[in-house]
Amino acid sequence: MSEVAERMDEIVIEVGKRHIREVNRDIMDACATGRPIRVVNTLSRHNLGVGLPDNVDITFEGSVGYYCGGLNTGANISIERNCGWAVGEGMAKGHITVGGYAGMSCGAAMIGGTIHVKGDAGPRVGVAMKGGNIVVEGKIGYQSGFMAHSGRIIALGGAGESCADALWEGEVWVAGEVDSLGVDVDVIEPTAEEVAEVDAILEPLGLVDSSRNWRKMVSGQRLWYFESRDASAWLMI
Amino acid sequence: MAHDLSKPYEYPFDVASEEEIRFRDAGAVDGRPAGVPSSYDEGGSTRWTPEAISEVHALAQLGRYQVRGYNTFNKQLPTFDDLTFVPATMTRLPLEGYRESCDTTTVLGGGRGLVERPLELKIPIYIASMSFGALSASAKASLGYGASKVGTMTCTGEGGMLEEEREASQRLLYQMSPARYGVDLDHLRRADALELVVGQGAKPGTGGLLLGMKVSPRVSKMRTLPEGVDQRSTIRHPDFLGADDLAVKIEELRIATNYQVPIFIKMGATRPRFDVAVAAKAGADVVVVDGAEGGTGASPELLLNHTGIPTMSAIRAAREALDECGMTGKVSLVAAGGIRSGVDAAKCLALGADAVMIGNAAMVALGCNSPRYLEDYAALGTSPGACHHCHTGRCPVGIATQDEELESRMNPRAGAERIARYLTAMTMEITALAKACGKSSVHNLETEDLRALSFQASAFTGVKMAGIDRAFDW
Ligand SMILES: Cc1cc2nc3c(=O)[nH]c(=O)nc-3n(C[C@H](O)[C@H](O)[C@H](O)COP(=O)(O)O)c2cc1C
Ligand code: SF4
Repeated sequence: MSEVAERMDEIVIEVGKRHIREVNRDIMDACATGRPIRVVNTLSRHNLGVGLPDNVDITFEGSVGYYCGGLNTGANISIERNCGWAVGEGMAKGHITVGGYAGMSCGAAMIGGTIHVKGDAGPRVGVAMKGGNIVVEGKIGYQSGFMAHSGRIIALGGAGESCADALWEGEVWVAGEVDSLGVDVDVIEPTAEEVAEVDAILEPLGLVDSSRNWRKMVSGQRLWYFESRDASAWLMI
Repeated sequence: MAHDLSKPYEYPFDVASEEEIRFRDAGAVDGRPAGVPSSYDEGGSTRWTPEAISEVHALAQLGRYQVRGYNTFNKQLPTFDDLTFVPATMTRLPLEGYRESCDTTTVLGGGRGLVERPLELKIPIYIASMSFGALSASAKASLGYGASKVGTMTCTGEGGMLEEEREASQRLLYQMSPARYGVDLDHLRRADALELVVGQGAKPGTGGLLLGMKVSPRVSKMRTLPEGVDQRSTIRHPDFLGADDLAVKIEELRIATNYQVPIFIKMGATRPRFDVAVAAKAGADVVVVDGAEGGTGASPELLLNHTGIPTMSAIRAAREALDECGMTGKVSLVAAGGIRSGVDAAKCLALGADAVMIGNAAMVALGCNSPRYLEDYAALGTSPGACHHCHTGRCPVGIATQDEELESRMNPRAGAERIARYLTAMTMEITALAKACGKSSVHNLETEDLRALSFQASAFTGVKMAGIDRAFDW
C-alpha cells in the first residue's frame, strides 16, 4: 500500500515505521484538501496529528502514543482505541474522541474544546487546564484536575485518589465513587442550573442520565493566598 | 615534690581586694566586668548574628518563610572577581585592542542541523526570561526594542507572549513553563525559539511565584488566574516527567513549529554534569544553565540563599558534560546567573559558555535601584542600592510592577536606549578582553585565558591558580 491513498472521499495515510515528520507533513497536506482523513497502521506512535487546523475530520485507526491531537486548533479528531500521555495537550479548540483508554495527563493545559474518553483515563486528567471540557465515561486516575485553572472535568465512572487536587477555578464533576480527595477541595451540591449546564455538554455525546448522583468539586481557596492577605507584614521584608 | 593538697596555698602577701581585682582602680564602669568592651557592644556569636536573630524574629511573627525578589544574599558564593584574565604577553600575540576587529556573532541552536532558523545573534548576550507580570509591559517593551537595536534576543518568561514585546523584539524566545500560562499555537509559531523551563537558579526545584499585588486584571487574563491570588506555580511539567518523555515532547514542539526554530531547555544549576547531558540527549538544541546567583521577581528566600551551585562551577561542569557525550558543537550552552558586566560575561565565555543571558543586570540598566523617588524606597523599608522588593509590585522606579502610576515612572524610550547602550558597552568589554587575549572571535576565549585568585574559584572551576599555574586539585 502506498503511503497516502484515497478511499472513497477519504484520504488514507499510512504511519508504519515512517519518520513522524513525514507522516505529519502528509497529514497537514491532507488537512488542506478539506477532505476526511484516515490515519492507518498507527502502531501507537507518538506525536500523531500535532497542531491540527480547524475544519478537519481525522480518524486514527488503532491506538496512538503521546501527544496525539496536541495543540489542536479546531480539528475533529477520533482515536479508535487507546491513546498515550497528554492527548489534546494545549488544545485551543476542537473535539477529540478516544474510543478506549486515555493515558496520563489527558487534556493537560488545554484551553478549549472537548475531549471525550469512552473508557477510563489515567492519572492527572486535565492537569493545569485553562478551559474546555473533558468527559470520561469511566474512571479518572489519581490527582485528576491538579491545579486546573478553568474548565470542567466530568467523570461518569468515579475518580481515583487525590481527586481535584489544588484547583484554581477549574471544576471536577464525578458520578460514582471518589477514592479520596486532594488538598483544598470543597465538595458541593450542584444546583439544578449547573447540572443542566453539564448535561448540555453530555447531550451531544448521548450521555445524559438524570439519575446520576453528582459530586461537584471546586477549590476551597485555602491555597490561593500565601502572602497578599498579610501584605503589611511582608512589604517591609 | 608534690604539694600537700590538704593545705591551701597561701600567698606570701595579702590577697588583693575585690576593688583591685576588678580593675575598679581606674574608673571602669560599675556593674560591668572590664574585658573586651566590643564583646558587650557587638556580641561575638558566629551563629547568632544580628541577621540570624532578625530572621528568627521574622519567622516567629509571620509563621512562614519569607519571599522576596532580586538575587541571593549568600555571602559564601564566589564572585567572578575571583577570576582574572591573563592576556597575551610573550607566549601569545594580542590583537590591537583599539584597531583590530573581533567577531561577536553568536549562533544558537544550529548545531544539530535540524531547524530551519537557528538564532543568529550579533552579540553573545541576550535578555533572560523575565515574565510580563514580574515586569511591567513597558519594561518588557523597552527590553525588546533595546535588544533589537543591537541585534539580540529577549525571552517571554512564563507569563505568555505579550504583544508589546513581540512587536518590540526582532528575536523573541517563547518560554513554556510547567504552568503553561497563555499557551497558544499561534504564539509558538510566531516565536523565534521555544524554551521548556525545568528550573531556574533562584529557586531550583520550585515553580514560579507571583504575588497577588501583581496579578492585575491583564496578568490574570493572560494566565487564566483569579485576580489578586498569590500565584504559586507547578514545577513538574503537566505532560512529561523524565528524559524519555522530554524527548517526545521536544519532537512534538518541533512538529508544531514545523522544524523552524530551536528548542531550548533551561535549568537551575544543581547537578549540571548530569542534567545537561540528559537535556542534550533528550534532543535540546540549546541548554541554558542558570546558576545560584540568578535573579528573580519573587522566590522563597531560603531557596535564593541556600540552593544551587555557583554559575562559574556550573559552566565548567556543563561544558565537560557536553564534551564527554560528544555534544559540543551540536548543542549550544548558555550560562546565566550573577552576570553584572561584559567582564563577567567574558569570564563565562572563557569558562565554556557559547552565550550568556542577563536578568537583574538588564533591570538595573533600565533604572532598578536608581536613586529617585526616595520616599517610595523608604516606604518599602529600603533605599536605592539595597532594594530587593520586586515581589511587592511596589517598585519605586516602575520596572517590577503592574501598577499604572508606578509603571509610568519608567520612560520606555529612554529605557530602550539604555538597554542598547548597556549591551553595546558589555560587548565592547568582552571584545577588549578577547583582543588582549589574542582572539579574533569572542568564542575563542578559553579557560587557559583565566587564572584564579582564590582556592575556592580554582577548586570550583579547574581554572589554574594565579602564579603557580596549576589547578587546585584533589
Ligand atoms: C524579574 C525577573 C523575572 C523572572 N522571570 C522568570 C520567568 O518567568 N521564567 C524563568 O525561567 N526565569 C525567570 N527569571 C530568571 C531569569 O530568566 C534568569 O534566569 C536570571 O535572571 C539570570 O540571572 P541574573 O538575573 O543574575 O542575570 C526572572 C528573573 C527576574 C529578575
Ligand atoms: S527598584 Fe524595582 S526592580 Fe529594582 S529591586 Fe526594587 S522593586 Fe525590584
